[in-house]
Parts: sequence; C-alpha cells; structure tokens
Amino acid sequence: MTVDTTTRTYTITGPEPEWWYRDLVSCLQSTFGSVLIREGADPLAVLGAGWRFLHLPGDVRSEEFYYPCPADESGGTDLGAALAPHHELHARWWQPADENDVWREVREALADDRLVIAAVDNYHLPFRPAYGDVHAAHLVVIYGLDETRGVVHVSDAMPPAFRGAVPIEKFLLSWGSANPTDVQDAFFSDSKIGRRCLDVRLDAPAAPLTPELLGGWLRTDVDGFTTAGPARTGLAGYDAFAAELLERCRAGDADVLRELYPFGWAMQAQASLHGELLRRCGREWDDPELAGAGRAVEAVAHAWTGLRFTGAHGLEDPSAAASDIAHHATTLRGAYVRAVAAVGAAAARL
Amino acid sequence: MSVRTETYEPVDISGHRNNTAISAATETGAGAFNVWRNSFAAEYLPAGGSLVHVEGVPFEFPPVCDGPDNVRCGGQFIRVPEGRYDWIHVLAASERRCEDTVELSFADGSVDTEPLRVSDFWAAPAWFGEVKAFESLVMHYPHHVQRGVPAVMWAQRVPVTRRAGLTGILLPRNVAVHVFAVTLQRTET
Repeated sequence: MTVDTTTRTYTITGPEPEWWYRDLVSCLQSTFGSVLIREGADPLAVLGAGWRFLHLPGDVRSEEFYYPCPADESGGTDLGAALAPHHELHARWWQPADENDVWREVREALADDRLVIAAVDNYHLPFRPAYGDVHAAHLVVIYGLDETRGVVHVSDAMPPAFRGAVPIEKFLLSWGSANPTDVQDAFFSDSKIGRRCLDVRLDAPAAPLTPELLGGWLRTDVDGFTTAGPARTGLAGYDAFAAELLERCRAGDADVLRELYPFGWAMQAQASLHGELLRRCGREWDDPELAGAGRAVEAVAHAWTGLRFTGAHGLEDPSAAASDIAHHATTLRGAYVRAVAAVGAAAARL
Repeated sequence: MSVRTETYEPVDISGHRNNTAISAATETGAGAFNVWRNSFAAEYLPAGGSLVHVEGVPFEFPPVCDGPDNVRCGGQFIRVPEGRYDWIHVLAASERRCEDTVELSFADGSVDTEPLRVSDFWAAPAWFGEVKAFESLVMHYPHHVQRGVPAVMWAQRVPVTRRAGLTGILLPRNVAVHVFAVTLQRTET
C-alpha cells in the first residue's frame, strides 16, 4: 500500500528554530529573535538597536506581546518597524482567509521555508505552565505542520521552553481561543486570540555594526527623546503618560494599572536590549563611556520593574497604590533623563 | 541557634516579614511570592531557621512553611546593633530584575543611600553578579508543581562606605524586592 503524505506535511528546511531569550523580554522579542537567527541576523543587534518611548492612549491590549505600534498614513501598522526602527524588519498581522481551511497560509509559509509566529492562549497548550489553569495571550513559533500525524511543530523560548509536536486539536483550541477574562491573570486574558499570526521579514541583511552606524542611530533616538511631538513620545510623552497614570490611579481606576503591566513590559524589554547592546559594543570597541551609557539604559529597564509591579500589586486598590506609583514614576523619569544624557554624550563621539 | 561570630552579625528581621514565598508541594497555594502566586518549593531549600552559609557568609534561614518567610520591601526600617560594618549581606529575590536603593542610618545622624540590586527569581541569570544561594528546581503554581522553571534566591551585598556606626537600614518602597535574611559583616580592625 502506498500512502501519499507529502502534500500534508510541511516543515522548514534545516535545523529546528533556535531559542532566543533574555529575562526581561516577552514572547514578542523571543519569537522575533528566533526568526532573526534563521535569517542570519543577530537578534540583539537588531532588536536592541532602537530605543524610544511611545505610549498610544487607548491602544494597549491585555496581551504579553503588546507593543505600541503607530499607524502609518494608510492606517496600517508594521510591528517589525516598531521593534527595529533602524533595520528593514517588517511584520504584519494576518488571519486565515478561509474558515474552511485555516492552515492554508501556514502551509504556504512553511513551503516557502518561512517561520510563522502565532498567537495562542496558554490555557490550551500542554507545554505551558498555565495549561488547563489560566487563560493568557502568548506567542509561539510554528516550524512544521504534519496533518497526517495530526501535529503542529512549535517552538517557544519562554521558560520552561519547548520545541516539539503539539496535537492539532489542542493547537486549534489555543489558536482560536476567545481567551476569556481570567481572574488569575488580569494582564494577559480578556483578549481574543482570533487565529492571529505574524508574517515577519527582514528585507535587507543587517549591516555590520560600526561606531559610525550606531552613532547615527543613537543621535536619532536621543532627538526622539528630547523633541516634543504630536504623539506621546520622548520625555514629554513620558510625562504625559505618567500624569495620566497617576491621575487615574488616584481616581481608583484599575484599568490604568491593568494596562501599565503589558505596556511597561514593552518599554522595559526594549530598554534592556538596547542597554545590553550598548554595553556589548562598548566592551568590543574599548569605549567605556558607551558601555556606561548602556548600563544607564539598563537602569531604565530596572526602574520599570518597580513601576510595573507596584501597579500589578495595587490592582485591588489603585488609589491606595497612588503614592507608590508616583514614587516609581518619578524614579523612572530620573532614570530616563540620566540615560538619555549618557547616550547623547556617547553618541556625540561616535 | 545563633549565627553571630566575630565577623558576622545576623539581623533579626522577623518582625518585618510580611510575605510567604515558600510552599510545600502538598500545599502550593499557600505561597505567593509574586503577583501570580508562584512560590519556591520547600523541598529544595534549607530547613526553616537553620544556619546556612553562602560563600562563607552565615545567614539564619527564615521559617519554612510556618508563616511569612520574607520581607516584601515597603519602606521598612530595620534597626541593627550599632557598629562599624563594611557589608550588608542579604538573601533576596525579585519579581523581575530590579535595582533600587536602601538608606543607611548612622549614629552620628548621617544617612547614606546605597544600591540594592537583585536579579529575577524566575529562571534568570545573576544579572548583578550575585551568588546563587539556593535554587528550587521546580516552580510552585497555586494549583500545580511546574518542572523546568527554577526559582532562585540570591546572595547579594550592599556596601557600607561611611566609617561610622551603622544603626539602621531603610528598605526601598518596592514590592518587587523580597528580603529573606540579613547579615552584617563587621569592619576588620
């Protein structure tokens, strides 16, 4: 008997995706990191190249992978450009076009030897700690689909880290979950998954990182911090964000603290990667001032911890948490100011 | 039991403990180190109240599965036996990597601010160069024991640079930082 399986089995060529992880990143950066490694790029050099503050009021979603992403003139968004503004990284969300064949686009991507980043609800994935317990929006990398055996091959660098086969029926539950409100996770539940996927492309190889190249990026980013714009960007944008946070907190508005956690994670992860990259370049180029600037940016990431977790623990009584929120917002503001000055000084010499 | 020696002075923080970070496998819901109520697994940690040494520094390990076991930092002031010290050693862990400050009070009325840097307890490296003091190889969730996600308790130290008698330590107002034990290292004469 001959069984034709070739048309129902799709997988990328070569080795399974590499995990990429740092303790302050979310599944957003870790999944992009896996894609970038496969593209031959260094995730830290790409995802850590840019450093900005951007808050989009009303935009924050209760998902681990939320990242502020401004709409372009056509109203579209490019998550890749938001994550890596100095590289030709592009990413667009898509959903299956045909309800009767939800795997079609995944098959096409894998047949084209491209990874797919998929949104999932941890509640339905057996390898996630929240399995059968907590609903939470998360991202994983799909690198294979075997419809004959009924499995999806999935990679996830976030602890406990997993790479392997997941039954299709489990994955479909996770991929199509309503991700309902879950009292055990106020920050990443209540956000419909809707079989969303990300198509990520690095349209041009990352250029070798030189002091001149990095210096230009840093000067652009420092300008972004010190020049007021129409959106909540830079230090002025931070001040507007912090003032609203405090005002709503004092008024007992728990929603502002629910939003603080995922939004703050985006800003925290970005600062941690940028700081690490600058420290690495400073060491490699024997530039202690640049390394010190990187450390100052990392201090921004560390100050986000105090603000995010004060908010997380203050959910039940936001007004009672307001004074500590104010304290950490002020501390974080100071960290931003010091880091912007340090990066500006280092950039001026590059 | 006393861990007091010529070099080291344990600090009694029992009156400040306000959080339970360690739980038994039979009652994982009893712990709530972080906002998701995760906790360290008691079976991987020393016995409650025991004398432990980390890189030669003695600590009095907190109670285990017998009430609060750590101080979740909220601006508590810890009085210490007045004396000249070079280092404040702590067993600590953080909900995400964090750095904040402690304020050191001295008998002459001076106050110095010093950094307290603590790495994440959640499957993380020692970002600030701490010593991994203890590691729970599993993470306790409210309803299950999770393999593959370790929980780490760090040994960190804070310098005392002023040559004056230390009288107290004001912890930061930072709920992410948890302190399990404090030991002072005397100035060598």
